[in-house]
Amino acid sequence: MPLKRSWGRCQVLASLFLIGALVTTPQMSVQAASQTAVEDGAGGMTRAVNRMVGGIVSYARWPTGSAATARTMCIVGTPRLTDRMAPDVPGAGSVTVRRVAAAAVTPECDILFLGRLPVADRRQLIAWVRGRPILTITDDDAACIYGAMFCLGNRAAGISFSVNIDAIGRGPLRIDPRVLRIGVGEGGAS
Amino acid sequence: MTGPSSTPPVERIGARTTLQKLLSRFHFGITLFAVALSGLTILLAGVTALRGYADRNMELAAQLGAYGVEPALVFNDPQAVREGLEPLTHIPGIARLRVLNDVGRPVTEWTSPAADPAPTLTRIFFPRPFAVTVQRNGSAIGTIEVWGDSSTLIDYVRLGLLAGLGCLLITAFGTIFLARRFEYELVKPLNEIATVAHDVRLHRRFDKRVQPLGIAELDRLGGDINALLDELQGWQGHMESERALLAHRASHDTLTALPNRDAFDEQLALRIEAAAGRGSRFALLFIDADNFKAANDNFGHAAGDAVLVALSARIQDALREGDFAARIGGDEFIVIVELDEEVHPEALAGRIRTVVAEPILLPGGETYRAAVSVGVATFPDNGSDATALLTAADAAMYADKLTNRSR
Repeated sequence: MPLKRSWGRCQVLASLFLIGALVTTPQMSVQAASQTAVEDGAGGMTRAVNRMVGGIVSYARWPTGSAATARTMCIVGTPRLTDRMAPDVPGAGSVTVRRVAAAAVTPECDILFLGRLPVADRRQLIAWVRGRPILTITDDDAACIYGAMFCLGNRAAGISFSVNIDAIGRGPLRIDPRVLRIGVGEGGAS
Repeated sequence: MTGPSSTPPVERIGARTTLQKLLSRFHFGITLFAVALSGLTILLAGVTALRGYADRNMELAAQLGAYGVEPALVFNDPQAVREGLEPLTHIPGIARLRVLNDVGRPVTEWTSPAADPAPTLTRIFFPRPFAVTVQRNGSAIGTIEVWGDSSTLIDYVRLGLLAGLGCLLITAFGTIFLARRFEYELVKPLNEIATVAHDVRLHRRFDKRVQPLGIAELDRLGGDINALLDELQGWQGHMESERALLAHRASHDTLTALPNRDAFDEQLALRIEAAAGRGSRFALLFIDADNFKAANDNFGHAAGDAVLVALSARIQDALREGDFAARIGGDEFIVIVELDEEVHPEALAGRIRTVVAEPILLPGGETYRAAVSVGVATFPDNGSDATALLTAADAAMYADKLTNRSR
């Protein structure tokens, strides 16, 4: 899967680059790239996951509210990476975690974390999310092909995340292109 | 009257060359100074401005790097940090990049593969790295540091020096050309003045004048020289006429306008020499007015003067061209006559006695009959030198006078 990176020559307008990088990857909608080192010890994985989820949340923009607005994360199913989910958002902003059943998901959820859950439930939730300002993250889809926007994966070097640009493109949620670039990234990292 | 001609044109050419050299050197010096000054100013201003731009460039690069690596730092992803720095590695003038995480530990580092052309200059211009704190939602999550190098500055200085050198070359040629022109414009009129002065000094050409030169100062100088020449010319003419007058006075009797004793002595010496050389003869007639004192006393000095004037005129009338008459004393005249077959000195003496005896009209209205005694001596019969001839003529005159008295 060759990914062409096209850095323009203009180095001043970084955003132009980043958008350009996105534009030049039209077919590849999903790519694992980010590699976050996981510290040793009992809480290492939990801290790494919370940091990563918090980082993703901090780069997402909802149509309402600001960066400092507290967001609600609804966890559906069983997370595979950690059971002590408490996203660590850098700077202002915070996330409150709620565990809900697949059938009880409401639009109050700003973030939907999909753990391990039946395929039918997942498909139904993904379909329901479409068009709503809801950020979807999963840790049960290493290839990131089932429609969640961000997919966390556990790899030898640490945990990583992938981005499903199709899924992001369908919703009203806006994601910082720099995160997309990291998520889309370069094949070499994974 | 040619004066010392030991100042050949060589000296003038030498002086001219010196002036040209002086002007060229002066022009070149001034222009060199101006060009160097302006070039240095421009270079310094350029370096200062460029340094400002370089600083700004480093700052922008650091800001760009901070923006690029921000999410990578959030996700603690060294590979993504490296990728975020990648655009900066293409910016010229960046020597080194380093990203530190929130606890100050280096995450990634990049050093330019190109060697720093002038490390000293780099140390002077970029002593410290530009550090920008990477922030996420208001909290610091890392630091990016950018070190600049002197490559762009070196390029500018090199280009500036080259351009300055080119300017200097052009200016040098321009200066030489201008100096030549200026020198020509200045030296040509000066040469004209010098030529006039030279002519006047060497050839006494007091009629020469400096022509208008078209340069105010030189025209003033030329005008002064012309005025000086006018005065000199006036003096020269005056002196010449004065000298002629003096010479005439020295050799002539003022009353009768006949040559005086001095002129006679000179003339006699010349005649003796010439006659001795040719072997020819001449006669000396010593003429003395008889009873002139009585006439003077009876009719007054004015009448005496009139008698003397009349006597001299009549004596001169009796002579031929080439004969010489002089008044050598109060009432004494002397005549030198060249002798040949036609001329007999005794006959001439008789003729003189006759013409003198004609009545003379005096100023008072009276008439006076003068009488003269004439003594003749011939060269070389009566003497071969002036003294002997004069003595002989004088003696003959006295003999004649005695004869007249006794008559």
